Amino acid sequence: MTNSWNDVQYTDCALIMGANPAENHPISFRWLTKAKENGGKIVSVDPRYTRTSAMSDIYASLRSGTDIPFMGGMIKYALDNNLYHKEYVAKYTNASFIVKDSYKFEDGLFSGYNAEKRAYDKTQWAIEKDAEGKPVKDFTLEHPRSVFQLMKKHYSRYDVDTVVKITGTPEDDLLKVYEAFCATGKVGKAGTIMYAMGTTQHTVGTQNVRAFAIIQLLLGNVGVPGGGINAMRGESNVQGSTDFGLLYGNLTGYLNAPTSTDKLNATLAGHLEKETPKTGYWSNKPKFIVSLLKAWYGPNATPENEFAYQYLPKGNKNYSHINLFKAMYDGKLEGAFLFGTNPVVGGPNAGKEKEALSNLKWLVAVDLWETETSAFWQKEAGSDPGKINTEVFLLPACSSYEKEGSVSNSARWMQYRWQAIKPLGESKADLEIIHELATKIKALYKNESGPAAAPINALYWNYGEGHHPDIDLVCKEINGYDVNTGKLIAGFGNLKDDGSTCSGNWIYCGFYPEEGKNRAKNRDKKDTGMSLYLNWSYAWPMNRRILYNRASCDPSGVPYNKEKAVVWYDAAKGKWTGVDIPDFVATRKPGDAGFEDPFIMMNDGVGGVFAPTLNDGPFPEHYEPYESPAKNPFSSQEINPTIQLFDGKFNERGFKADYPIVATTYRVSEHWQSGTMTRNQEWLSELVPHMYIEISEELAKEKGIKNKDKVIVSSARGEVKAYAMVTKRFKPHTIDGKKVHQIGMPWHFGYKGFATGDTANRLTPHIGDANTTIPEYKAFLCDVRRA
Amino acid sequence: MATEYVKFVDVTKCDGCRACMVACKNWNDLPAEQQDFLGSAQSHAKTTADTWNVLQYIEHENSKGKLDYLFRHSACFHCTDAACEKVCPENAISYTDFGTVVIDHEKCVGCGYCVNNCPFEVISLKEYVDKNGDKYRKAHKCTMCTDRLEEGLQPACVTTCHTGAMEFGDKAAMIKKAEERVKQIKDRYPNAMVYNPKGVGGTHTVYVLAEKPSVYGLPENPKVPTSAVLWKDYAQPLGKMMIGATTMGVIGMFISSRIINKGKQDEGGDSHE
Amino acid sequence: MVEINLNRRQFLKLSGATAVTLAVVELGFNEKKAHASTKEFKIAKSTVTPTICCFCGVGCGILVHTKDNTVVYTEGDPDNPINEGKLCSKGTTIRQLYTSEKRIKKPLYRAPGSNKWEEKEWEWMYETIAKRTKETRDKTFVVSEDGMTVNKTEAIASLGGAALDNEETYLLSKMMRGLGVTYLEHQARI
Repeated sequence: MTNSWNDVQYTDCALIMGANPAENHPISFRWLTKAKENGGKIVSVDPRYTRTSAMSDIYASLRSGTDIPFMGGMIKYALDNNLYHKEYVAKYTNASFIVKDSYKFEDGLFSGYNAEKRAYDKTQWAIEKDAEGKPVKDFTLEHPRSVFQLMKKHYSRYDVDTVVKITGTPEDDLLKVYEAFCATGKVGKAGTIMYAMGTTQHTVGTQNVRAFAIIQLLLGNVGVPGGGINAMRGESNVQGSTDFGLLYGNLTGYLNAPTSTDKLNATLAGHLEKETPKTGYWSNKPKFIVSLLKAWYGPNATPENEFAYQYLPKGNKNYSHINLFKAMYDGKLEGAFLFGTNPVVGGPNAGKEKEALSNLKWLVAVDLWETETSAFWQKEAGSDPGKINTEVFLLPACSSYEKEGSVSNSARWMQYRWQAIKPLGESKADLEIIHELATKIKALYKNESGPAAAPINALYWNYGEGHHPDIDLVCKEINGYDVNTGKLIAGFGNLKDDGSTCSGNWIYCGFYPEEGKNRAKNRDKKDTGMSLYLNWSYAWPMNRRILYNRASCDPSGVPYNKEKAVVWYDAAKGKWTGVDIPDFVATRKPGDAGFEDPFIMMNDGVGGVFAPTLNDGPFPEHYEPYESPAKNPFSSQEINPTIQLFDGKFNERGFKADYPIVATTYRVSEHWQSGTMTRNQEWLSELVPHMYIEISEELAKEKGIKNKDKVIVSSARGEVKAYAMVTKRFKPHTIDGKKVHQIGMPWHFGYKGFATGDTANRLTPHIGDANTTIPEYKAFLCDVRRA
Repeated sequence: MATEYVKFVDVTKCDGCRACMVACKNWNDLPAEQQDFLGSAQSHAKTTADTWNVLQYIEHENSKGKLDYLFRHSACFHCTDAACEKVCPENAISYTDFGTVVIDHEKCVGCGYCVNNCPFEVISLKEYVDKNGDKYRKAHKCTMCTDRLEEGLQPACVTTCHTGAMEFGDKAAMIKKAEERVKQIKDRYPNAMVYNPKGVGGTHTVYVLAEKPSVYGLPENPKVPTSAVLWKDYAQPLGKMMIGATTMGVIGMFISSRIINKGKQDEGGDSHE
Repeated sequence: MVEINLNRRQFLKLSGATAVTLAVVELGFNEKKAHASTKEFKIAKSTVTPTICCFCGVGCGILVHTKDNTVVYTEGDPDNPINEGKLCSKGTTIRQLYTSEKRIKKPLYRAPGSNKWEEKEWEWMYETIAKRTKETRDKTFVVSEDGMTVNKTEAIASLGGAALDNEETYLLSKMMRGLGVTYLEHQARI
């Protein structure tokens, strides 16, 4: 989230799309209700009429997988009707940049496409630079190769008729949404977009978010209270675990993990050269990388050995979820650690993921419960235990309040959890389990000196003497300290690239600025202004609550909306001030270089309407889902031309002749993710005890299905049994003149726990987004019949 | 009585999260019950001895032909003239100074008159087995967390409600608030109304409903049945005197089952007044 | 230690009681236990510890009431500005994370080909896992690739961690990179 949960109350219009916060982030509705009371509008766009829709002022339906047409039409509407924020667009975005003439777009393909590699040569989309290497701009936005004109041309194709033909949205509803949301383009108004996995879990997931970013930049809604692009996030610390690099491509703090595919990464100097831009805040990157190496390798990281850089593993491919299970399925993995995760229920094409597990030699599962995954070898799982040779270690973890530590919510607030009770039975904190494992593995290598031993021996692991590590030492290492004096570092501005400082995660540097002051423990609930609560917990970076808040002011530093001001330039003091921490160099004065550039993390200091770094193009373009009931009206490219395709039995593909119905998965309030945490609790299991699908009255009639009947849903991957919930809240769409049905189902169920049922993910495909490889759970094809 | 307190439920603010259901179980240590699939998001058909409030989910086509997805927190109304209190042969049901209606389980003999006479069908019997293997029953329902009220805390369900769909406070103020709210929402919900039925002397749960009571399965004009009045004020004292409480229980059960058409008293009985 | 000090009296005030309900106390209602319940007030002597909900990304504050080595009640933390004492059904239920009979309390081991779990001691589990990790790692470790130092093993995967604490994710990320693991993934995608 660029903004915070409390901040939602200041919005003039909340567009909720690809998300259902009333059911999945209920407390957000405390603030959305306040927004409504303050005169704000709530708009819900969803294939299904949800509880969020019930609470909204405007509801519009769309077929799953058509977000880009929906938003592309909105971009066109804002441009055609002059509803965009002119100054913001010209000054604060790259709309004024001139794109090289090698950029082309034709029949769904951008220039530079290589069909064999299913990839683009992105240099063809580059921005023109002047002699100093700065972008060439045209603030009038009239240059035919300006980003603005290219965007206008690109989205001129997304006219209302074509949009409704493919989305199935009633035209009236579509226009009501466009009108309500684009009204926030007026200077001083704020609109927020709240989204979740309904946006991202598509083969065009990243571009769906990009479409949100473009409209928010056009309407001047980024960096302002009540605005922003707000990914709600489904796990209590998915923000933190991403910040801390539990993804193959990132070390901590969004520092790219070095790969062996780029020769520059052969040395630290080359890696720093490759990674560090000349402008923008990332020009400080070497300080963060070297401080991280000092935190990980301690005294073993020296200037002489490139600060132990060579010990970092260098991958050469995509190692994300689907690829990981493909490797396991192909027998390339021997061992796996699972920390509180249950892919046999939660993974795409889950039946195949279960099969893959039996190819492992050993599996370590750390969990509060026995899951469908750690029990994959059991007869109840449909397995023959005698034929499965995987050794399984199930380590009992304790719950979140049986230990202490911090979590970061979607708004980047790092909040501390204190220990309420000692761990149940012999269960233990994951901190202790990880620590013990690391200590034991290191001990096995202690007397070895081979090439495999060197990196692990060099790893600096020093968290006290006991079995339970000293969490305070961990916190200090995360924040960072002067390695010579041990003095804590006050903020990441003080980190050095000479090896004199360490910091385990530079974006968190500053949460523990001095001895005894872990700011995650801050509990002063006083509203310090605009519901930002600066003394409650700590928000990275540097306790800023609204990212890019400089953009809430005009170029001279005066807030666009004086009633809702968060930062401003104080001419008398000669610096930036306000109720939020300026996300900007506070001492920059009018006339200083960069004074009018609010997006400090962007190399050019402005927001990216045009994003020439993405794998599937600089502008979002519509492609149909991997499994689709319709023809793409915008081009002859049916599916995203840059997604990685997996062949064979690992991913069977269905077509509309056999599977004419669109399906999507979702969550309910009472269960959480793969259901492990909630299906093992009786009160929640009682509230939603059975697997069901939601199906329209029209489809039920066609199929002879009555409410509460047992039905079978089939896809190219498998079948699941469920109850039918016949509802008025799903309606068939008219797509290109033909009736297309859609059903929905929760993906929480498995055979363990109190509430049991078939696993929806046995139906979903192993196909992912072109940039993130996030699986396309939200739009696939199926058929339904009475059981 | 000085100030009267009510639970004010504005169903048009409810987003159906069901925290109220769990908060109730959590505070009152109530066990979960195995439930069949009901064909909607609703977990229980109605309140039970172990589930004192139930969230209703209703798909309703409104007068404009548009779909409304309606939610209602349903629980004991804590009537001012409570039929359950009237019919209880053991005086196990009483009013507290908060206006809440509570059951004394030491006195309750599980006869079920209260269950049969509640116009809102919110009371249920639970079966227990004693040391000797004998079965006995007790009536259960929402207590409005009277134990919490005594400690200055609000009912658990109200405390947890995040949209402000539930409030607990001074009766006159809450009713005023409800009436104002109805005016605000008339555009979206033309049939919106305050539900605080007079036939039971008013209740200590006051609703703003988005639709007519019948849409929620509520009686339009619930009343304390005449038979219940007769029972409480005449038959019971007399009967107890003559044939003893236990036998009277059996007869009473017969009377209440035969005469009182449970839950549909619109035409069934005269006004208590 | 936790920086709140909720004694009984303060707690009453904190716990979402509005001016109206505080007035209930001051008016002196409390004279009779009209109902049968004579049990002690449920949270009268409980210890109250603030935590943050373990479910979605909103980050609601929760108070955990413990008494006699168990969790007797969980409710919203009225001090936390995100939820101001309010919770959804999941947050309200976290009491049962501790009390559920389904919790595993001992390390469990399943031998190759076996059809059952066996209870094991922690130490044995740690030692054996460390041994397996080393065996696999040593066998599959790649020091260099096309002349570049890569120090990795592509035969071990680590999944999950989105519900761990920051400090835990930090140690996990550090340990896995330290081992040379490249198949490193958590639930951001699923």
